[in-house]
Amino acid sequence: MTAILELDGLEVRYGAVPAVRKLSFQVGKGEIVGLIGPNGAGKSTTLHAILGLVPAHAGEIRFEGRSIRGRSPEAVVRSGIALVPEGRRIYAHLTVEENLRLGLAGRRSRDLESLERDFEWVYELFPIVQEFARRHAGTLSGGQQQQLAIARALVARPDVLLLDEPSLGLAPQLVDVVFQALAAIRERGVTVLLVEQRAQRTVAFADRTYVLSNGELSTTLGPGDAGDTDRLIAAYFGR
Amino acid sequence: MNTIQTLIDAMTQGSIYALMAVGIGLVFGVLRLVNFAYGQLVMAGAYTLALTNGWNPALSIVTCFAVVIGLTMTMEVAAFRPLRNASPATMLVATFAISFLLQSIASLKFGILGRTVGTLTGLNRPIGDGRLLVRWVSIVAIVVAVIALAALVLLLNKTSLGLHMRAAAADFRTARLLGVRANLVISFAVLLSGVLAATVAVILTAGTPYVTSDYALRDTILVLVGVVVGGLDRLWSATLGGFAIGFATGALGGFLPSIGDWPFTSGVYLDSAVFGLVILVLLVRPDGLFVPRGRQTVERV
Amino acid sequence: MSRARNAAELVGPVVLVAVVGLLGTLVTDARALEFIEALVFVSIVVALYVFVGNSGVLSFGQISFFIVGAYAAGELSLPADTKGDVLRNVFPLLRDHTIGSAPSLVVAAAAGGIFALLVGMPLMRLSGLAAGIATFAVLEITHNILRNWEKIGPGPTTLTSVPETTDLWQATVAAIAVVCLAFAYQRSPLGRKLRAAREDPFAAQAAGIDVHRQRLWAFALSGALSGFAGGLWVHFQGTFNTDPYLELTFLTLAMLVVGGVGSLWGAVIGALVVSGLDSFLNDAENGDVGWLHAPDGTRLVVVAAFMAVVLVFLPRGLTGVRELRLPRLRRLRRPRAAAQSR
Repeated sequence: MTAILELDGLEVRYGAVPAVRKLSFQVGKGEIVGLIGPNGAGKSTTLHAILGLVPAHAGEIRFEGRSIRGRSPEAVVRSGIALVPEGRRIYAHLTVEENLRLGLAGRRSRDLESLERDFEWVYELFPIVQEFARRHAGTLSGGQQQQLAIARALVARPDVLLLDEPSLGLAPQLVDVVFQALAAIRERGVTVLLVEQRAQRTVAFADRTYVLSNGELSTTLGPGDAGDTDRLIAAYFGR
Repeated sequence: MNTIQTLIDAMTQGSIYALMAVGIGLVFGVLRLVNFAYGQLVMAGAYTLALTNGWNPALSIVTCFAVVIGLTMTMEVAAFRPLRNASPATMLVATFAISFLLQSIASLKFGILGRTVGTLTGLNRPIGDGRLLVRWVSIVAIVVAVIALAALVLLLNKTSLGLHMRAAAADFRTARLLGVRANLVISFAVLLSGVLAATVAVILTAGTPYVTSDYALRDTILVLVGVVVGGLDRLWSATLGGFAIGFATGALGGFLPSIGDWPFTSGVYLDSAVFGLVILVLLVRPDGLFVPRGRQTVERV
Repeated sequence: MSRARNAAELVGPVVLVAVVGLLGTLVTDARALEFIEALVFVSIVVALYVFVGNSGVLSFGQISFFIVGAYAAGELSLPADTKGDVLRNVFPLLRDHTIGSAPSLVVAAAAGGIFALLVGMPLMRLSGLAAGIATFAVLEITHNILRNWEKIGPGPTTLTSVPETTDLWQATVAAIAVVCLAFAYQRSPLGRKLRAAREDPFAAQAAGIDVHRQRLWAFALSGALSGFAGGLWVHFQGTFNTDPYLELTFLTLAMLVVGGVGSLWGAVIGALVVSGLDSFLNDAENGDVGWLHAPDGTRLVVVAAFMAVVLVFLPRGLTGVRELRLPRLRRLRRPRAAAQSR
């Protein structure tokens, strides 16, 4: 497996409080990797550190072999990593279309053909984004906004897609929609790093799931462990 | 006739203030900083026009724009960036200190007496046969304001850069993580505000050729008040607020003396009238006059 | 919180003020005037701090009360013979009474306090930028009316012939008194409640604190102290007009912010440092400083530059004060980031 994203001894602090301690793991090209753990474990922080939104106190972050630690968020995004942030962070007063166009800010390729094709693909994945193009994004439901948030990240044509709790607050059918979309996204060749609260579903779905506890990697789980509730609980809450 | 003249003067005043309001609102949108020193940009532009008095008018105006834009970009780098995370009180007082500093320097270097500006005083002539005391500069001011605002609306709504600016103003952090070039957007907003300041300088000096170190200070204060009263959070409400206070000042200034012998209706009490209105509006709509009631979020205790 | 710490917060500024007063006795009479001015500024800035520092609400209006106090004290203490010349059209109440300087200070404080109370009743419901602008509007209205209404003042002409009774001793004692009052207030239950509301108005309201009332108390006290300082000022200068109202407003606000807006120390230090700098440069301009001769006008430039530099690079002010000392309500440094550390 060629690692497209690699964390090596990553440490992140808020003031004197360590949020992530000596975290090391790899994400292979084309994989779907999950990251689960209880509240306060440092999952969001990890994603933010990858994107350069919070500074890394120590350790390395490598993308396609090159260090991206210390780069500004804009530079990281332009390198090929996109984030679907927690809480979606949609611009309520802009239209759905404008929200989508914003995602183009991180896009590397300039040619119109690929742009059209990507938009077609995104519309296929999430038809409501095309249907409600002119509506103000604030009028969309939670599930629709989540779809928009993912679509927005995808139009940047990233190599790696980071998602921060995309199923948060969504009804079960919509959670299915999200996970199905993720499968389609992986099929397209995009690598996915998925932070989630729904432990069981993530473990069953991903190629590999890391469990974060108190800022540290406690266990690695495979799809086969999805049925093993005891193991899940032990991993989640203790070492 | 008097009424029409007053109305046109009020429109002129409102237009000029609207331009300044946009300049202030743009910077606030992307930096969350209220730039009290904005008036000094206009002052610098006015001084430049005064000092290049004998030149070809077009060249003089171009130089004015260059100086003002240079000054505002310098302010951005030297002062706005370090102030990013300070409290609103600190920011306001710091930009005031900068304003005071620039005023003092101008006073020192160029003197308090001011210079006359010849460049565009031709615009001070009245239209037509002089029965209606409307000067060309009034029409120019209104037309320029309309064009500038229309151009701005187009920029913000139809271009990518405009979209990025609107996003940065609404939620800066998210814009960054989408790949929007934060610094570029900020610099562009600052640049635009400089362009507007220079425009205001050109228009103002046509009507008020005497340039002193506190040129446009009074206007800046009124525009700041107007912007807050209008609603600082969105650009259009801020602009409307600037226009409103300019219009109100112009209109009241025209109508007040003619009301008659009521106490306090002499023209000297214009300020009290305007500011009295300001207080009333703020008590009823603290978030801004033009912000719909449902969106009033400022805490009231 | 230890008693020792409490004491230090009061003793420090008081000692500093006393030392300044003492130093003032060692210099020439002319130089002593600068000391008096600096000490009066301490009173003004501490008065400002009583409201702005404790409530966290920005007010541009405190100088209104300073002005009202100055006019009240000045007009009432004009000698009966000159009064007719200076105040031609005033109300009989002002025209027919003359009082001594010391009582006039009391009247000044009362005038400032009452005016602040009246103004504050509607305005203290506002916060943030709205409060700032509304109080600024009050300032403008006060200036406008006092500058033009000849029934309560000399109108556009300057008020003159006021007995100059504020000497070094008075200025020092007054400054110390103001500092002590400010300290007593912030340590009192009223002050504590307001500080709680400053940190989090909603939580404070939920805890039963009437935020509006607490702000009003502070505003009125600040107004009274500002009025008092105005009385001191007019008896120091002997003349007064409202023309420098804007300059004074921002100067005093800048002094407070430069010193550090959250503490009594900050208010005192800010006032003294900026006044000191201003006086020093004034002397340099006049050639009174041996080794430095500054051309005219540089004083303003340097003072403004100093203020700008301090504010830009030391946003917490010279004293770098931690905003509040109520440990339970201290805000996390990066609230959003901390909330996302899951």
